[in-house]
Amino acid sequence: MNFDTPIVSRRELLQTASAGFGYLAFAGLSTAAADQESGLNPLAPKAPHFKASAKRVIFLCMQGGPSHVDTFDYKPQLAADAGKGGKYGGSKLMPSPWKFHQQGKSGLWISELFPELGKHADELALIRSMHCDQPTHPRAMTQMHTGNAQFIRPSLGAWTLYGLGTENDSMPGFIALNPPAASAQNFGSSFLPAIYQGTKVGRPQGRGPGPATRGAANSGPQLPDISNPRQSKQSQRNQINLIQNLNRQKLERDIQQPDVEGVIESYELAFRMQDVLPDLMDISKESEKTMAMYGINQEDTNDFGRQCLMARRFVESGVRFVEVTHGNWDHHQRLKTELPNKCREIDKPIAGLLTDLQQRGLLKDTLVIWGGEFGRSPDAPNGDGRDHNHKGYTTWMAGGGVKGGFSYGSTDEHGYQAVEDKCHVHDWHATILHLLGLDHEQLTYRYAGRNFRLTDVAGSVIDKIIA
Amino acid sequence: MTSKTDFTTIAFLAFALLSGSVPILLGQEDKPLSTESVAFFEAKIRPVLVEQCYRCHSADGQGIRGGLSLENKDAMLAGGESGPAIVPGNLEESILWSAINYQDFKMPPKTPLPRAVIEDFRKWIEMGAPDPRVSSGVEIHSKVTPEDIAQGKEFWSFKAPVKAKPKASQHANWAVSEIDRHVAQAWDEHALEPAEDAEPATLVRRLYFDLIGLPPTIKELETFVANWKSNPESALSQTVDALLKRPQFGERWGRYWLDIARYAESSGKEVDMTFPNAWRYRNYVIDAFNNDKPYDQFVREQIAGDLIPTKDDKQFAEQLIATGFLAIGPKTLIERNPRQFQADLIDEQIDTTTRVILGVSVACARCHDHKFDPIPQTDYYALAGIFQSTETMFGGMRSQRSRQESNLIILPVEDPNPNDSQMSKAELAGLKKQLEEREKEYAEARRAQRQPEKSKDGTAPRSSFLSIAILDQLIAQISSRINTVDSDGKPMTLCMGVQEADKLRDAKLLVRGEIDQPAQEVKRGLVQVLCKEQVTLPPNTSGRREFAEWLTARDNPLTARVMVNRVWQHLIGNAIVSEPENFGASGPAPSNPALLDYLAVDFMDNKWSVKHVVRSIVTSRVYRLSSAFDKTRFEADPDNKYVARANVRRLDAEALRDAILAISGQIDLSRPKASLIASFGTTLIGPNGPAMVPPAALAMATGGDSEKNPGRPNMMNAIRAGGRNPNANPFEAPNYARSVYLPIPRNSLPRALDVFDFAEPSLVVGSRETSNTADQALFLLNNPFVLEQSDALARQLVRMSSNQNERISKAFNLVYGRSATQKELRAASEFFRKADDGKKTIPNEQRVFQALSQFCQALLCAAEFRLIN
Repeated sequence: MNFDTPIVSRRELLQTASAGFGYLAFAGLSTAAADQESGLNPLAPKAPHFKASAKRVIFLCMQGGPSHVDTFDYKPQLAADAGKGGKYGGSKLMPSPWKFHQQGKSGLWISELFPELGKHADELALIRSMHCDQPTHPRAMTQMHTGNAQFIRPSLGAWTLYGLGTENDSMPGFIALNPPAASAQNFGSSFLPAIYQGTKVGRPQGRGPGPATRGAANSGPQLPDISNPRQSKQSQRNQINLIQNLNRQKLERDIQQPDVEGVIESYELAFRMQDVLPDLMDISKESEKTMAMYGINQEDTNDFGRQCLMARRFVESGVRFVEVTHGNWDHHQRLKTELPNKCREIDKPIAGLLTDLQQRGLLKDTLVIWGGEFGRSPDAPNGDGRDHNHKGYTTWMAGGGVKGGFSYGSTDEHGYQAVEDKCHVHDWHATILHLLGLDHEQLTYRYAGRNFRLTDVAGSVIDKIIA
Repeated sequence: MTSKTDFTTIAFLAFALLSGSVPILLGQEDKPLSTESVAFFEAKIRPVLVEQCYRCHSADGQGIRGGLSLENKDAMLAGGESGPAIVPGNLEESILWSAINYQDFKMPPKTPLPRAVIEDFRKWIEMGAPDPRVSSGVEIHSKVTPEDIAQGKEFWSFKAPVKAKPKASQHANWAVSEIDRHVAQAWDEHALEPAEDAEPATLVRRLYFDLIGLPPTIKELETFVANWKSNPESALSQTVDALLKRPQFGERWGRYWLDIARYAESSGKEVDMTFPNAWRYRNYVIDAFNNDKPYDQFVREQIAGDLIPTKDDKQFAEQLIATGFLAIGPKTLIERNPRQFQADLIDEQIDTTTRVILGVSVACARCHDHKFDPIPQTDYYALAGIFQSTETMFGGMRSQRSRQESNLIILPVEDPNPNDSQMSKAELAGLKKQLEEREKEYAEARRAQRQPEKSKDGTAPRSSFLSIAILDQLIAQISSRINTVDSDGKPMTLCMGVQEADKLRDAKLLVRGEIDQPAQEVKRGLVQVLCKEQVTLPPNTSGRREFAEWLTARDNPLTARVMVNRVWQHLIGNAIVSEPENFGASGPAPSNPALLDYLAVDFMDNKWSVKHVVRSIVTSRVYRLSSAFDKTRFEADPDNKYVARANVRRLDAEALRDAILAISGQIDLSRPKASLIASFGTTLIGPNGPAMVPPAALAMATGGDSEKNPGRPNMMNAIRAGGRNPNANPFEAPNYARSVYLPIPRNSLPRALDVFDFAEPSLVVGSRETSNTADQALFLLNNPFVLEQSDALARQLVRMSSNQNERISKAFNLVYGRSATQKELRAASEFFRKADDGKKTIPNEQRVFQALSQFCQALLCAAEFRLIN
């Protein structure tokens, strides 16, 4: 292959290009150090605002609103007041049907629904005082992702990529694994350049706006156009060599043409991605032991285990932000039978993920986030089920510079409302960005005549959970 | 006892300190409440509301069900989706009264209130519903003073544009038009020298893409080059005139308007509902550009077409369709609270209208005074009153997930959607009967879901939930079908748009934009800083027509400037005001103010003709400049602010796809009837396209007796089978029409548009991003559409010649409009030699064709194809 012999010195060209002219034209991943030095490639790794404790994120998103009072928010008073009227009258308080135990050296109270995850108590920073402004699923989900349920705004992952760039120039920097149906805006870049939006990998899952959405979680196309239906690799390389030859001749004729350079790099990245992405998604080369750790090939845990393992493979390869969704936590009914099923599906895979990251030395700078769009009511309007509860719920973080075995904030005695050290979604965003070395007030983008940020005009970093 | 009023006051004061606004407590306008009536409320009414109702009807609880908050007097009087909860003194009209008596609603749902409590409510409502829980009575005083506004009028863009004579320039001989003289003046000031003129072959390609979004054919190119040699000026003006007359002009320029009008054919956001009549607005826009509809009229029709007198029904229909501009924006259909929905809808209308037409963002003032421009919060609510007195007709379909719907406008012409066919009375009656049955089943399924222990047959909640979803969808589908015809079964011609509301109401200013914190009412009006004199709107109309007139008045300082700036940007590559939606104080200054003003005044002088502006720019000499790189010129003005050279530009998604189709010879230049989306009717869109119950399943579901239909389990299977095929996405189906006619569902854009920086259809996009991504490369390398077009191009070459070298030369001509260089020919030979390697097992003819197709694809993939020099 002779395509990598530069015809003209890229560096020379880049030095003459002004930032205003060439900046976005370089929206392709770069292999050349010149790009990274000059800062022209918008996906090149960028220095954070200050020293970061986390370099990458795995966001385990629990769609539907997992019950906090049955999982991570221990409420003895709820048991004591069982059967009494709830906060809003009408339905009665329902104590958690499950026992809580103190786990690890830290003695964090965690429900028996998470036997495996409980063993990692000393790595978890529970935030038991979460609250958001939206009582319905889609809007709360959108607020959790973009900070704003009213307008279409860039998502957390897009802001992260915008702030930090990415480290694997053969992979997209922000990946949404098996995203829920109709969730485009939660991974979108909105007014940020399109290059920062999440790349969806895998089939959409969960209940879409119709019954026609249930498919096997890991089947179907992984990414559109990721392979050529006609040509062998060798044959395609020959074709790409011709394309690049024409591009280089164009560059030679035009002397200065950042757009052509961007095109050249996009083909090389695409060619690499065709190999790298299916390979990263092929977990068959992992050891039996690793697979077992994630609960792969075991009933209940197979699907989510595979996704967690894939998430590890992605971040390990340098992908900046990976989001994995697990659906159906909306337990209005049949809480007693359904919640244990849901917890079982994620318990082992997440415990496996944390162990695996730790064994590979990745946990210290990988931020793992767990949470749903809200929690559930301490009372039970339907007998065996809980209602939505957005004024108080729990999320947790692990690795990436957070205090392990730590519990931050609290809800009232029954778990209705965050009361102590309240953590709004804006605060949560500010903290995540802070751990990544980004100041949420400085990370801005100019749009429609003003500077926008993920946290709008709010948000404060929760210093207490930082190790 | 501390009353809630005190808390509210404290909250307002706290806010006031933050924002700098000064709240003044208004004197209670109504008579003060008597001590006894307050005592009655506190003793008998408030505790019941708190205990029994707040859970579902307060912002503190689990949301505001049915859009009804019972938290304060205003909210109760305003009511929710079904109307006011309380009409003081009137039991009949008070929905709360009928609900606690278990008439229409059954509230509280579990157990009715004790008789005595119901009697208390009767007494209370008859007393006039005295309620001390008052949240209004606050007035927000803007910090923006009349002096600020007067001073604000001195800002450059808020003063009327004036044509100035350009000074004599040292480039006087170079210039061919007034535009040139204005541009050249800036060169004098910045010591710049213009580039050479571009080669005619480059110029003609530029011209074709700019005016019609398609490349010239080889013949067109050769004719132009020949004519240019004998007389450049006449070659140019003839070609420009011909192109302006082609229907492809409107398709190209209409699409630019659709970008800023955030045109799409579905609601977007959480539940993506189709807008099956949005295409009418698309066609209206395309036709307006083709007919060179005066821009002022074009704007007026979009804001108030329903209010402007017309000569006939056809014209009236056109103007009604134009108002679709206000209705096609993204919608949060999942929002339960109709007041919140309306506030957001109005906000979207104000934001879009002011940014698109005036190039200023007034919506900043929804929550507080504008930070940069002298636009007080009251100006926003003055405009909001106009839109609040307007009814927006966007369609939609109420279902479990989609909580908001509206009617559509019935057009006074006959042009129904192609799939909406005549229905016999029997068919219509049959459908109505089915709808009734499904609705009954749905209600039963809902009840069973709420009380699983009570279901007779012990149906598992999971399966009942599934059937609820399916029933919900069936109901939507059947009603969608019913709603397309009138009572005789005749299909109706419908469009999206706006009408005057039944009630004309001034808007209440909302503190921080929160709907439950209303302050004083603001009289309907306009943006003061943009008004020459104080404007008073007539009280007996919404004021929308006056708003439209004002937007397009000759003395409006912004409208013409904003539009000519857009035209300049599309033709030259960089705008004179580089943020085309921000002409306000926080925006960039114009790079050439005299040129901007010249274009704006000239635009208005020529009856607001967009074609005139386009023609005058493309026949100027500035447009002819070469884009060739010159180090000195580049360093002197790296951003090319003063346009001493041409910008190299990218083909946008539509031009790229259309050019591929044009060159492959497969393009269909006819205008498709309606749109793919129209054929789906009103439905939600899922990951595989419209979430419709497949016909087979529908037949099973709707056939025969609903109770004991043995087809039911089969129906479930048929439904699941319908969703299995991941390639079933209809938005990716083969389509050879021009890209402007592709379906635009907000959440599932066709890939050919999506990967090439298509305008985000939920935002006002005045200038698109340009990126080079791996996804674009993957599309061009591997997508079946590109492979198919490459084959088609290869077939053409096979027909043209049997000689490989000739085929190669012809391919370069067809794709790039130029001959190949020797070096390129060598690269091509090298490609063919290697392509032949190790493939001797494949028959020769097939092998040659495969390689030729791959070669054609490579030409389409290379950067040159995507760039306009």
